[in-house]
Amino acid sequence: MLDEALRLDDVYLSTSELSGTPFSVPRAVNYFENIKASENNEDRLLLAGMNLTLKLGETICIGGPSGKGKSAILRMIAGLARPLKGHIYYFGEYLPVERLTALEVAKRQVGYVLQNAALISNLRVVDNIALPLRYHRVGTEAEIQKKVKMAMDLMRVRNFATMFPHQLSVGMQKRVAIARSWAMDPKLLLMDEPTAGLDNYNRRNLLPLIDNMRTMFKTSIIIVTHDLMIAKELDCNLVFLDDKKLTEPHSFDYWLHSDNEISKDQFRDLQANSMNI
Amino acid sequence: MTPIGRIFHSLGIFILKRKVGQQLALFFRTIASLFASNHNFRNDSRNIILQTFFTGIEIFPPLFVVATLFGTVTIIEVISLTGKMGMSDFVGNLMVVLLIREMGPILTAFLIAGRTGSSLTTYIGGMVINSEVDALATMGINPIRYLVMPSVIGGTIATIIMNIIFSASAVGAGFLVTKGIIFITGNAPNVQITWGYLSAEILKALTLPDFVFAIVKPLVFGIIITINACYQALNIQRDIRQVPKATSRSVVTSFLFIVLADVVMSLFYFISYMQNLSMMI
Repeated sequence: MLDEALRLDDVYLSTSELSGTPFSVPRAVNYFENIKASENNEDRLLLAGMNLTLKLGETICIGGPSGKGKSAILRMIAGLARPLKGHIYYFGEYLPVERLTALEVAKRQVGYVLQNAALISNLRVVDNIALPLRYHRVGTEAEIQKKVKMAMDLMRVRNFATMFPHQLSVGMQKRVAIARSWAMDPKLLLMDEPTAGLDNYNRRNLLPLIDNMRTMFKTSIIIVTHDLMIAKELDCNLVFLDDKKLTEPHSFDYWLHSDNEISKDQFRDLQANSMNI
Repeated sequence: MTPIGRIFHSLGIFILKRKVGQQLALFFRTIASLFASNHNFRNDSRNIILQTFFTGIEIFPPLFVVATLFGTVTIIEVISLTGKMGMSDFVGNLMVVLLIREMGPILTAFLIAGRTGSSLTTYIGGMVINSEVDALATMGINPIRYLVMPSVIGGTIATIIMNIIFSASAVGAGFLVTKGIIFITGNAPNVQITWGYLSAEILKALTLPDFVFAIVKPLVFGIIITINACYQALNIQRDIRQVPKATSRSVVTSFLFIVLADVVMSLFYFISYMQNLSMMI
């Protein structure tokens, strides 16, 4: 268990957790309400009996049809949604559901790139990247500046450093969001659709960066994506969300050549292409 | 759970389910976040000062006009009424009760609730809708510390300063406008007034509790306005139509809570009146 970055054991998640995280209400209230509401209501379950194990330094891609709760898995791992039942272990440490908040999870160096980037709209790009570093006082101001410059160079957003987020395109915002997460040195990085809205050139630049992160910094990465070729290019395992559960992890080639329902749904075009070749 | 534990559990859930309980909890969490382990004094003080200026400077022009005109009306009415009724000795007392003790803090609080409270709700509500608050939390930045704490402390400081400015301009600028009205209309209101008389009467009527309550009242009102605004904003579900609803709710409930708190604090004066009466008898 010590070599595991993340372990989800028999996790149940209800749909009522998706309506946002009210930071104004003490979480105890929601917790007891939710358990009461969903005790005997099967329809409201988004995930039922889900299992996932991620080794340290491993990368995994989660695929599946849209609207089945892939992003909800990441929200739950990031501590923004609270499971009804089940156990979640971060780096071998069990966090009980009562203490599973986003702040507690962030303390364990878990980074999260949201689907819509969610940059703070009244801060410039530089300040956006420096915000968590300044808040947690990671080193002196000069060190923070150096780190921010490095992150901007890696994601090629240096030329846009003094712009506001609304002046950037969606793909640019996403790159800034990844730079912001990278600057915090996460040990486990959750990425929601990192390549959506990126052109081919920048997508090709992003993939080696992810590759570098896992080889140089031993970062464990979970990617939720519809772009299944990522799994092939990063040479990582793919799991699919099916029937409120995650399937066993297998490689891209296994899924491509296997003969089950999921492969037929998700790989139809690719399978047809490979037949032609 | 043991029986005693069950009693405390149900009591706690009962209180925390109510809106007032949740707002109290938010207030205590705001205070607690001041003493969080990784506090950054320079950043915090900068945010607080920015919020103070934002609240104070934006509200100053309407507040000054309202205070001056309200002061003018009060001075003319009080002096002409007391003169007719032969109670000219109570001019100072009436002015202090009306301007400094009751209407000053309340009108200041209403103006700040309408201006700062509503803008705070839309600002934080927009961040909630864009899931920027979620992003803050996942970066390990406590939203209550980063968003709520500077607004509450800065807004409260600004309310205290603005209350003092309101009282000062109501008496000072109100007197000047009264003199102007007398000059222009050829003393149509039939008021004889000099600055020496007015200031001497007001200074005579001021007591120590007035000075204490000039700080305590805006302090309580400022906390009520900002906590209420932040609470309504953080409570928004992911729906853009909820933002205007939350804004109007924040302003209206602020008005309600301000008047309630004012009545509770005025009990102090009622009690001292009663003691004076019993001493006289």
